[in-house]
Amino acid sequence: MNILICIKQVPDMESKFKINGEGTWYDRADLAWRMNEYDEYAVEQAVRLKEQVKDADLTVLCIGPDQVTETMKKALAMGCDRGVHIADADSAKREPVEIAAMIAGFAKEKNFDMIFTGMQSQDRGSAQVGVMVAELLGIPAVTTIVDFVYDNGAIQVKRELEGGSKAVVTATTPVLLTCQLGLNTPRYPTLPNIMKAKKKELLTMAPDTGGTGSRQEIASCSFPEKKGGGLVLEGDVAELADKLIQLLKEKTTVLA
Amino acid sequence: MQFELTEEQNLIRDMVRSFAETEVAPSATERDETEHFDRALMFDRLAELGLTGIVFPEEYGGAGADYISYAIAVEELSRVCGSTGVTLSAHLSLCANPIYMFGTEAQKQKFLVPLAKGEKIGAFGLTEPSAGSDAGGTRTTATRDGNDWILNGSKIFITNAGEAEIYVVLARSDKGAEKHRGISAFIVEKGTPGFSFGKKEKKMGIRSSPTMELVFENCRIPVDNLLGQEGQGFKVAMKTLDGGRIGIAAQALGIAQGAFDAALAYTKEREQFNKPIASFQGVSFQLADMATQIEAARLLIYNAAYRASAGLSYSQESAMAKLFASETAMRVTTQAVQLHGGYGYTREFPVERMMRDAKITEIYEGTSEVQRVVIGAGLTK
Repeated sequence: MNILICIKQVPDMESKFKINGEGTWYDRADLAWRMNEYDEYAVEQAVRLKEQVKDADLTVLCIGPDQVTETMKKALAMGCDRGVHIADADSAKREPVEIAAMIAGFAKEKNFDMIFTGMQSQDRGSAQVGVMVAELLGIPAVTTIVDFVYDNGAIQVKRELEGGSKAVVTATTPVLLTCQLGLNTPRYPTLPNIMKAKKKELLTMAPDTGGTGSRQEIASCSFPEKKGGGLVLEGDVAELADKLIQLLKEKTTVLA
Repeated sequence: MQFELTEEQNLIRDMVRSFAETEVAPSATERDETEHFDRALMFDRLAELGLTGIVFPEEYGGAGADYISYAIAVEELSRVCGSTGVTLSAHLSLCANPIYMFGTEAQKQKFLVPLAKGEKIGAFGLTEPSAGSDAGGTRTTATRDGNDWILNGSKIFITNAGEAEIYVVLARSDKGAEKHRGISAFIVEKGTPGFSFGKKEKKMGIRSSPTMELVFENCRIPVDNLLGQEGQGFKVAMKTLDGGRIGIAAQALGIAQGAFDAALAYTKEREQFNKPIASFQGVSFQLADMATQIEAARLLIYNAAYRASAGLSYSQESAMAKLFASETAMRVTTQAVQLHGGYGYTREFPVERMMRDAKITEIYEGTSEVQRVVIGAGLTK
C-alpha cells in the first residue's frame, strides 16, 4: 500500500506572535516551530495503518523553507519511511490552491492508495488544501475524520459533524482523508527512532504549481482589539443599582 | 563554533519535554509527598522511549546519541521532577557508563545491554560512612578466594538502591597497597547471596528517588565480575564521576529552569499595588539574574557534554558545569520561593519541592567543595 501524508510546520501556538513589517502575516523571527497538530493525527494514523497491514510505504511531504526538515524528521521518527521536501521559502505567501497544486503535481503519477492530511493548519486555518488535492487528483475526500478502520481494502471512518453528531462513511482506495482532533493520540518519537530518522531518504524538490497562480492575497493581518477590563462599581446598594441600570441602558441592548 | 542544537537534539528535547509535562509532572507532587518510586513511570517508560541507553552504541542496546542529547533528556525530566532526572542519571552515568568504559565484551553483553535497553536498573556504590569525598578511604573489602571475590562492608546513600538489579561497587582488594591503588570495581547483581539492603533514607528532597544502604556479608561474586583491572577501582570511580557530573549538572539545570518558569509565570500574574509584580523593577532584576545564571549553566553543561562526545578531556569542564549549575539551582529555586511569597512556602506550589530537590545537587557526586578541589588541582598541576 502506497500512502502519502501531507504535513505543515507551524509556529508553536504558545509563541509570542508579532505582525510582520508588511502587516500581512506574522513575523517568523524568534518563533518556536512544530508539526501542525492535525497533521500529527494524520502521521499517527498512517503509521498505525502500516503496523496493521505491514506492507505499506509511507511518504511524508512538506512544503516550506529549509527549516521544515526538522518537523519532517519528527514524522520520519514516528514511522514514515521517506520524506519529500518541496523547498519553498515563500510558501507562507501562497494561497491554498497553489499549495494543493504542488502536492497534486507531486502525487499525480505516484498512485497513492491513501493520502492523509490534517483537517486544517493551525496558523492559516483555511481547511482547503486537503480537499483541493483530492479534487485535482480526481479522488474522493473524506474530511474531519475522528475514527478510522481499515479492513481488507474497505475503509470505514467516522466524521465529526456540527453539534457533536457523527457520520459513518465508507470508502475504497484511492481516497484522501483529513484528520481531526480525537482521531488518535500521536506517539512520542522514541530516541532510537529520532536517531534513525536522519538516515532515511529525504528528497528535496523545487516548487512547481503547474501554472496555478495566485488569485487571492492577504490584505492585512492584525490582532483583535483589546477588550476593556471589567468595571467595578462602588457605593451603597441603591446607588449601585441605579448606576448599573444606567450602564445597561447606555452600553448594552439588554434594557433597550 | 556552533551554538545551535542539531535537528535531532531539538526533536529529543521536544519529545522528552512533552513526555515529562504530560506523564511525569502530574504525579510529581504526590510522589514527593509519599516518597513513592513509580518504576513503571520513572524508568520503564523512559526505556520505552529509548532514554535508558541514550549515549551507548546500538550494538549494546543504546540509541547512539551524544552527551548533549543525554544532558537535554535529564534536564527536561528534572524540569518537572528532580527524582526522575536523577533516576536516569544514576542509572546511565554511574552504572551503565563504567561498564561501557571498562567492561570486557562479555560484561558488556551480559550487563550493559539490559541496562541500556532499560530491562534492568543500574546503581553505583562508592560512598561509605568513612569514605565520602575521600573515596580512597573505602573500607568495604574484597578478598580473593579461588574463582570468587568475597565482599564485606557497607555502602550508604546509594541512589536507585533496592530497585536496581545491577550495581557497580568499589571495594578494597589489596589492604597492603597504597590508599588509592588497593581499590577495585566489581559488578554485583541484586539477589546475590550475602548482598542485602539496609535502611531507606528519609531525605529533604528528591524524595521519590530511593536512597538506601547496601550491605555485603560474605557476598561471593565470580572473578568475571571484576570491572577493569584489579587495583584500578579508583580510576574507574573518578572516570565514572566525570561523566556523572554532566548528569547531575543537567539535573540541577532542569530544576532551576522549572523553578524559573514557575516564578516567571507567577510574577506576571500576581498583582500587588494594582499591577503584576513582574513589572516592578526589583522583581524583574531578580528574574533577569535568574535567567542569566541558568543560561550560563546551560552553556557550561553543553560544552562539557560536547567535549565528552568528541573524545576530548572534560574532567575540568564537567566539574565547572556541575559546580555552577548546582549552585545556580540552589540560588534560583530559593529566589523562586521568595518571589512566590507565602504561597511559595506551601506545598501547593512546586517551587517548594524544587528548592528541596536543588540542595542535593550541591552535595552528591562530589560536593561543591570537591568540584573546586578538582578544578583547582587542574589549574595548578
